Amino acid sequence: MTNLKETNMIDRDEIAGSNGRRFMWVIVSGLGIVMAAGAVSGYLAAHEAQGGGAIGATGILTLCAFATIIIGLAFAIWRNVSKMKASNEGLTRRETLNRNMIYGFVLIGGAIGLLPAFYDTSVGNSDTGPPLLLADSPMPPVIALMLIFFWTVIMPIIAWFWHKRVIDEQEASAYRDGGYYAAYALLIGAPTWWMLWRGGFVPEPDGVAIFMLFALIWTAVWFWKKYR
Amino acid sequence: MKNQLKVLRAMRSWSQADLGEHLDVSRQAVNAIETGKYDPSLPLAFKISRLFALPIEEIFDDEFEGD
Repeated sequence: MTNLKETNMIDRDEIAGSNGRRFMWVIVSGLGIVMAAGAVSGYLAAHEAQGGGAIGATGILTLCAFATIIIGLAFAIWRNVSKMKASNEGLTRRETLNRNMIYGFVLIGGAIGLLPAFYDTSVGNSDTGPPLLLADSPMPPVIALMLIFFWTVIMPIIAWFWHKRVIDEQEASAYRDGGYYAAYALLIGAPTWWMLWRGGFVPEPDGVAIFMLFALIWTAVWFWKKYR
Repeated sequence: MKNQLKVLRAMRSWSQADLGEHLDVSRQAVNAIETGKYDPSLPLAFKISRLFALPIEEIFDDEFEGD
């Protein structure tokens, strides 16, 4: 007779697979919620700018549509996280450390994101421009020094610990592959953009955009190789 | 690379997470090796071999037919 625990165990692992698709949907749904919430706040701000007052039927329908999208995406997150939890029980020591460090990164990232809220960021920074961290405009020296300290002192320590103690060889391989793709995209893409600019075809190369694309390609390939 | 990891694991009633704990890798790594999407390094292959007390070539099949 088949051992019930054994059957459940195999089924659970079969269902879980890499859990990559579920993880991806959680990320996509989260981004969708942020964008939908942004659209709602933008709509309300535009309404206020036009004098405010009662919102018409079209406006209410639009807001209801966005609310439905947000609820639907929140449900998708809850459902995928529930399935991931059910199918991925029993984290290994490395995975527990990995997860706890990611929680830490999220907290640090949130704190950095909130920094501008506690300081006067108006030093040449317009309200309608890109977020402070991505803008080219001057920033308060205190924030600049804090960010430089984090990026040049804290970040390398975290990276060293992450690569030496937390991730396993399969994830290290995914990082290496991501690095190759991102490096070649940079080596080919950045000079191409530069030449296109010199030829008058496109706007001047943007350092922040190049950095973000490099990071995005690295992350996307890492995700694909780790969770495929 | 084809391998017998899933069979050997099931014979011991181990989940992928259990095997991952024995090998000090993540469950995703075990899943990737089992499904042939990732080939383990030589040190990890030896670790697997010692864990199941079997030669590497009885666990992993590189499908080499010979000359």
